[in-house]
Amino acid sequence: MLRVVFAALMLLFLPLSATAQDFQTLLQVHKDEIAKPSRRSVGPVLAELVASGHPALPAFLEAWQGKNVYQRLSDGLFFYIEDHGDTITLLDIETRNVSAQNVAAGTLDQIKPNGGVRRAIGEALVQFRLSAPDPAQRREALDAISRNLDPSQLGPLQASIADEPDAVLRLRKERLANYLIARFGDTSEARVAAIENLSDDLSVDGRAVLSQILRTRLTAAQNLPDDANVARILTPGDENLSRSAAYDMLVAQAGLPPIVTDQDVLKTIEANIDGGRSGGVALAAMTSWDMRYRTYDTLADQGLAPPRVTDLDAILANWTFAELYEETDTAVTTAATRIQESVATRVAFSQTVDIGLDAVSLASIYFLAAIGLAITFGVMGVINMAHGEFIMMGAYTGYVVQLFIPDYTLSLIVALPLSFAVTFAAGVAMERLVIRWLYHRPLETLLATFGISIALQQLAKNIFGTQARPLTSPGWLDGAWMINDVIQIAYIRIAIFVLAVLFLGLLLFVLKKTRLGLEVRAVTQNPRMASSMGINPDKINMLTFGLGSGIAGIAGVAIGLYAKVTSEMGSDYIVQSFMTVVVGGVGNVWGTLAGAGLIGVLQKWIEWLNPSNTLAAQTYMILFIILFIQFRPKGIVALKGRAAGD
Amino acid sequence: MTTLLEISGVSVSFDGFKAINNLSFQIGEPELRAIIGPNGAGKTTFMDIVTGKTKPDQGRVLWGDKGISLIGLSESRISREGIGRKFQKPTVFEAQSVRDNLAMALRNPRGPFDVLFYRKNAGGAARIEKVAEQIGLSDALERTAGELSHGQKQWLEIGMLLAQEPRLLLVDEPAAGMTPAERQKTTDILVEAARTRAVVVVEHDMDFVRRLDCKVTVLNEGSVLAEGSLDHVTQNPEVIDVYLGR
Amino acid sequence: MTRPSDATPTSKPRSFIANNPSVLWFLLALALFTLGVTALSEATGSGVISTSFVKTLGKTLCLCLIAIAMDVVWGYCGILSLGHFAFFGIGGYAIGMWLMYARTQAIVVENLSASVIPPTPAELSDAIASQIFGVVGASEFPAIWAFSHSLVLQLAMVVLIPGLLALVFGWLAFRSRVTGVYLSILTQAMTLALALYLFQNDSGLRGNNGLSGLQNIPGFEQVPQAQISMAFFWASAVALGLGYVMFAWVLRGKFGNVIRAIRDDEARVRFLGYHVESYKLFIFTLTAIVAGIAGALYYPQAGIINPGEVAPIASIYLAVWVAIGGRGRLYGAVIGAALVSLLSSWFTGGGAPAINLGFYTIQWTDWWLVLLGFSFVAVTLFFPGGIGSLFDKLVRRSS
Repeated sequence: MLRVVFAALMLLFLPLSATAQDFQTLLQVHKDEIAKPSRRSVGPVLAELVASGHPALPAFLEAWQGKNVYQRLSDGLFFYIEDHGDTITLLDIETRNVSAQNVAAGTLDQIKPNGGVRRAIGEALVQFRLSAPDPAQRREALDAISRNLDPSQLGPLQASIADEPDAVLRLRKERLANYLIARFGDTSEARVAAIENLSDDLSVDGRAVLSQILRTRLTAAQNLPDDANVARILTPGDENLSRSAAYDMLVAQAGLPPIVTDQDVLKTIEANIDGGRSGGVALAAMTSWDMRYRTYDTLADQGLAPPRVTDLDAILANWTFAELYEETDTAVTTAATRIQESVATRVAFSQTVDIGLDAVSLASIYFLAAIGLAITFGVMGVINMAHGEFIMMGAYTGYVVQLFIPDYTLSLIVALPLSFAVTFAAGVAMERLVIRWLYHRPLETLLATFGISIALQQLAKNIFGTQARPLTSPGWLDGAWMINDVIQIAYIRIAIFVLAVLFLGLLLFVLKKTRLGLEVRAVTQNPRMASSMGINPDKINMLTFGLGSGIAGIAGVAIGLYAKVTSEMGSDYIVQSFMTVVVGGVGNVWGTLAGAGLIGVLQKWIEWLNPSNTLAAQTYMILFIILFIQFRPKGIVALKGRAAGD
Repeated sequence: MTTLLEISGVSVSFDGFKAINNLSFQIGEPELRAIIGPNGAGKTTFMDIVTGKTKPDQGRVLWGDKGISLIGLSESRISREGIGRKFQKPTVFEAQSVRDNLAMALRNPRGPFDVLFYRKNAGGAARIEKVAEQIGLSDALERTAGELSHGQKQWLEIGMLLAQEPRLLLVDEPAAGMTPAERQKTTDILVEAARTRAVVVVEHDMDFVRRLDCKVTVLNEGSVLAEGSLDHVTQNPEVIDVYLGR
Repeated sequence: MTRPSDATPTSKPRSFIANNPSVLWFLLALALFTLGVTALSEATGSGVISTSFVKTLGKTLCLCLIAIAMDVVWGYCGILSLGHFAFFGIGGYAIGMWLMYARTQAIVVENLSASVIPPTPAELSDAIASQIFGVVGASEFPAIWAFSHSLVLQLAMVVLIPGLLALVFGWLAFRSRVTGVYLSILTQAMTLALALYLFQNDSGLRGNNGLSGLQNIPGFEQVPQAQISMAFFWASAVALGLGYVMFAWVLRGKFGNVIRAIRDDEARVRFLGYHVESYKLFIFTLTAIVAGIAGALYYPQAGIINPGEVAPIASIYLAVWVAIGGRGRLYGAVIGAALVSLLSSWFTGGGAPAINLGFYTIQWTDWWLVLLGFSFVAVTLFFPGGIGSLFDKLVRRSS
């Protein structure tokens, strides 16, 4: 009972305490300084406002700085406004609620602080936000600073470091402060020290700081000043400065006559046509530039056009062209150049590692896509052109499972074995119905499975439509693992890598440690002998084909997770899978692994050499494979001796 | 009798297994020679080396009066040098007629353009007839080779070798799967052929070898164990031990 | 490389035709077909057959020609090439370069004739180049267009480039004894590499856009398309006839026996003293050249060529045609190519009536590929001789 009374009393008192901190009242204390601020008077006002810690303050400071605060002339109260053209709505300065409507513009005065005041407000704002209680606001403030580094931010930033409770933000603040010192520090020594600190910073921001310090300006001078901080001297005519560009600089700088362009030549000739001739030359004869120049020179001699500049080289020889650092302190530029080089080396190294990881992830996809093919090819000598469609079938199985099970993690757990089962069944069916009748006719098998491939592809199109279907990965597979600012690898790719390793292990176990594996190896190496030893090759073939197809189904789910599921996705992988098998060598898990690794690394490497053109990369890779087969027709890991059947 | 083929110090191994181990022997012209030996003695590998299918790891294979080396030459080149080979399993072109099979084997220029502009002629036809008579297939010339009996296919293949007019004939188990009458005829064909050229017969069947009545070389573990007349080698205790005794 | 094919029947006409009666029958059927189409066409006859269908028929004849080449290389020599459409496409590109250059040149010269100051040769060439390569953001002629101004040289390219490519590729592959499915995959890789190369914008062949406007023959702008398509139809028929006779002549007698023997047992042929690789290379190169010629006749009728045409799938379809028509018979390849490609355009063009099953309506545009795929499997399983084997049975029964 007592408690209820107490609560009621509290409720009564609440509005009172709110009025006590009314923002408008706080502002009215400094009404005149706010309405007509000057660089001198604004400092103490800002300090007091900041000290109040009022939650509406940041928004007000921003509006004040942005000339969005108005004062009502009648009572001097401050408002935000909504401008409707002919009428104006007044908004409360604290809550932004509507205070009055249909106010005439003449009754208000817009507050327009000058540049110096606005800068002071900005500093206060940053300082204020840098120590705001909400970490998100502090983070925003840091983002704002790093977007546009400005010397004025250094003081507030450094002041806020000591009280920063969040370790991550503190680190960021220190880093930003270091950037600011590197660029705007007071002494040469402080800046060089800050620049040295950047040597292990591979982030884009850190690298931007260095390149901003090293910004240059192209200059032409007859004599370079002694104190110029020269980045490099340019010779007109080399790849960095064409002769005409160099001359154009002189035209702008020293008022030399502009160059006569080919366009000008043609215009002048056209302007002086007289009865099919110009400058005394027949127009029909002007099919060469030699003749055109001569005509122009004639016209120029007659004073009809400015003469052509003919001694370009002699003029250019009198001038020195150089890129000068905007930074005049040579100690700073020297340090920055040195650090930039070392950062570049580290970045290059990291990029190599990054490409390596990309290659590994690509290789694991190729491995998954190709291993099923390798098994069927190795054991049965059968090229399954419909293998790609089994991959597609697995991916669509995953998609259908997601239609029924909305939880992505659970649906993935269901989809993996289910897609294996579906494609295993499809593979066994295909083996029983078609392939079994075509043994010892490998080329016909190739074509018959191709027939199945086009039929399956079109069937999928008829059932699921032509647009891509999503196979969404669970939330915990989103995002990427950032190793540093350059090296990062998506979790989904790590998952595919793990899947590939699992299957490698599983296959090795099945092939080396189980009865089935023993029989499969026996059939691979000598089918006739195996069958005379009581191994039923029919059963082995069926199971192997099912196994190979089932793995294709799993590969389909894996590929579907990071690419789209379409009816044509199989054909995107089939040729690469063939290449992987052929390069690796038939009938050997390690061979397929080697093939996938080689092709993955090669493809990434060529893409890196020629990043703008992935098509060219693929072209070169295929050409390489064609050549590779010439020298190792049996692949990297080849069966030897009579077992190879040659 | 001059030396036609000289093999000296030849070795070859597959994955560590020595199929041929320091093998040396010679064949003269004309000569009929039988090679016997247990399974895995290297008989087929020896033929593979001579015909260019397998490259030896070391050793020399010298051919003919000028003693040219056969190592590194292609199979077809070696064949054109005058070495014909008959495989264990009869390999004739079953889809084609006996006459076409023989015509393809006839000793003629082998280049694609020579063959493209080749015209049938009376000389060629006569040679085909003669070979067909030798192998007893005169009446079957127009039949498809696939229709022939096993023995007839063997003879056709020998006939194709004869049509090549080689100086050396390598024959792998010609009598396998034949009836006694067919064996007799095969023996006759081979003995007849050996009058003018060198013939090397690899055979398991002692009876057949005895009927050939020629010098015998016994191979074991990739090298020569014994050489001489059949009676001579069958009395060699080592031979009895590794081969006949089993 | 080969003797001119018109000289072949005259050298020993009786025995060649007598030994190959199918050649005579084929030529007769082709002649009747050609004359029939001519009599019914818009340009020269009653107009029952539209010009666009004449083009379709002309293109089909070209497909029959490459199908014969495929049959020779696969059905006779046992090399399942999954890359012969690459040669077909190269032939098309080679002739397309001239067609596009000559036509653009005419247009550009026309446009520039209005300008006051006559253009320099370099300006003219730049204008043509930017007209042709504007779509890929280039304005200069790539090196491979060096001969595009000359019809004769580009015609030579139609033969030389497929021939040289086949020679080099075949030499590499056959030399290292790549056979069977390995070789098939290698040829597939070859055509894939070519397609990917052509897809690039800086390939110098207008990337994805391909070459277009090829149906307009420079110098014949005033001639109506009906007559131009008739001329190409005739040219295609003559090419098919000559190609058929040439291959029949090549495959006659001993050379044909050796080729078939290579298909059946390559190693044995080698021990007979034949250099198998040379024979394969000869057949591979010869068929590639014929494929190039077929392509050069096809694409002016199609009007456009783009990199998709040489994608691996096209070459696989080629194998499907030959398999359905019947391998190892030249006329089988012709039947297969004509039947399947015409049926395919009938079904996918919406010509076939939809089947209403009550609960579902079968639209053939959607289901044709399913039908084709499964019937192809059925042919492979139950009917390995293809349609051509029906003729064999007929001949056997009548004799």
